[in-house]
Amino acid sequence: MDKEAIEVLARRSGLARALAEFPEDVIAAAKQAADVAQKIKRPADPTAEPWPPMKAGTTL
Amino acid sequence: MSDLHWMTVEAAARAIAAKELSPVDLTKALLDRIEQLDPRLNAFIRVDGEAAMAAALAAETEAQAGRLRGPLHGVPVGIKDIINVAGLPTTCHSKVLQDNMATADAVCVEKLRGAGAIVLGKLSTHEFAIGGPSFDLPWPPARNPWNTDHHPGGSSSGSGSGVAAGLFPMALGTDTGGSVRNPASCCGIVGLKPTYGLVSRRGVFPLSFTLDHVGPMTRTVADNALMLQAIAGHDPLDPGSAAAAQGHYGAALDRGIRGLRVGFVRHFHEIDTPANPEVTAALEHVARSLQVEGAEVRDIKLPTLGEFGAVNRVILQSEAWSIHGPWLSERPGDYGKLGRQRLMAGAFMSAGDYMLASRRRLQMIAEVEAALREVDVLLCASSMDPACRIEDTAEVERTYPRQARTPFNVTGHPALAMMSGLSVGGMPVSVQFVGRYFDEATVFQVARAWERVAGTDKKHPPIV
Repeated sequence: MDKEAIEVLARRSGLARALAEFPEDVIAAAKQAADVAQKIKRPADPTAEPWPPMKAGTTL
Repeated sequence: MSDLHWMTVEAAARAIAAKELSPVDLTKALLDRIEQLDPRLNAFIRVDGEAAMAAALAAETEAQAGRLRGPLHGVPVGIKDIINVAGLPTTCHSKVLQDNMATADAVCVEKLRGAGAIVLGKLSTHEFAIGGPSFDLPWPPARNPWNTDHHPGGSSSGSGSGVAAGLFPMALGTDTGGSVRNPASCCGIVGLKPTYGLVSRRGVFPLSFTLDHVGPMTRTVADNALMLQAIAGHDPLDPGSAAAAQGHYGAALDRGIRGLRVGFVRHFHEIDTPANPEVTAALEHVARSLQVEGAEVRDIKLPTLGEFGAVNRVILQSEAWSIHGPWLSERPGDYGKLGRQRLMAGAFMSAGDYMLASRRRLQMIAEVEAALREVDVLLCASSMDPACRIEDTAEVERTYPRQARTPFNVTGHPALAMMSGLSVGGMPVSVQFVGRYFDEATVFQVARAWERVAGTDKKHPPIV
């Protein structure tokens, strides 16, 4: 993710102030997030369910 | 009675019930020790000495009259400062919540008090239970009693430090990516992350809704079972609470392990994240000892630590962002640097990332469940290294992620970390036991067998 993309995403997420006051922390945060999902195997089955599931009848 | 500070929960409760020990004397002895040692350990954010002494006096009067509230009657406890204690602020070790007064006890605290425990005060944590030791927060970070130049692990850092140092015999911690088991590993005590939903999270400041657990931290396995017995149970007002029947967690403690099947997850520390040789040697020693005690030990393969870690991070940081986003937008300067960086990462996770992690999570649960149909309990590493110097930021950053705890936050299985030995540098190294859902009793059974062989309950840091 380049600097420009990080800035756009940060502003969209409400981090304009953080971007102005702590730009290096915003970049560090974006870098932490950048590649992490690539380490996860994509389910072979496109209909695979997530966890936890929605469960009716278990209301509070 | 000498050395009250090393008394176990079990022994103290028994002596109080038999009117051989005064809760006032015990509480006073611990408060004196806190006054003496805590300036070097920083385990506490706030000591509530006056209230603790008042509670101890009440406990003594009740004990003398033969009225015991429960199995922890008169025994002091420390509470991680993300857990509500009525009348005290829950700061989460952060400027953001410095004046956040709790009006009611968290359910786990309420249950401890109901069992007779005496609350000593609020304990240090990593800011909002994430990140690492930080020096830019309103309170200093806790330190390791085995060597105060070293970190005690976290995020339940004050809980680990204080239990190990004999400031209190039991503490509450929380565990979202290993935060009970990391300080237990670094400080050489016993820390359990129970099955997800076994202990209510109501009144505990959340980090990640689907990964958060509350867990007991003690110096012995039996004490851990005793503490779990007090805090476990269904809470209809906690959406994640399990509707499972409460077990008898200490039932199998001294049954031995003959015939139990133990799955050794070697690839975690041999291939995925190669451990420090002293950690590896200690794990081999644990496995051999369990075999000598009659267990059958075989190798088990699970998904890689790298993938478990990625799933944990995506879910944790996405869910944490949903909590902290508004504060990070308005007052980012009120966070410490480490917490700010870790918590802002969620802003850069996509919905697709979160769904991918959540779908893979279901498969990972199935893979661990399959393994636990082959064996009764898993044995694996906890930390891959002994705790390093707290001010060596680069080494803290390098070693903190070198661990095998996150898999069981992802899957929700019960996991216990405890001492496996001491390094040549005199710091604890650790082992982890993992069980089937709601089968904490078998986890304790194996942990107790190892404790009996190694005498880990008798090993205390040389701090005076």
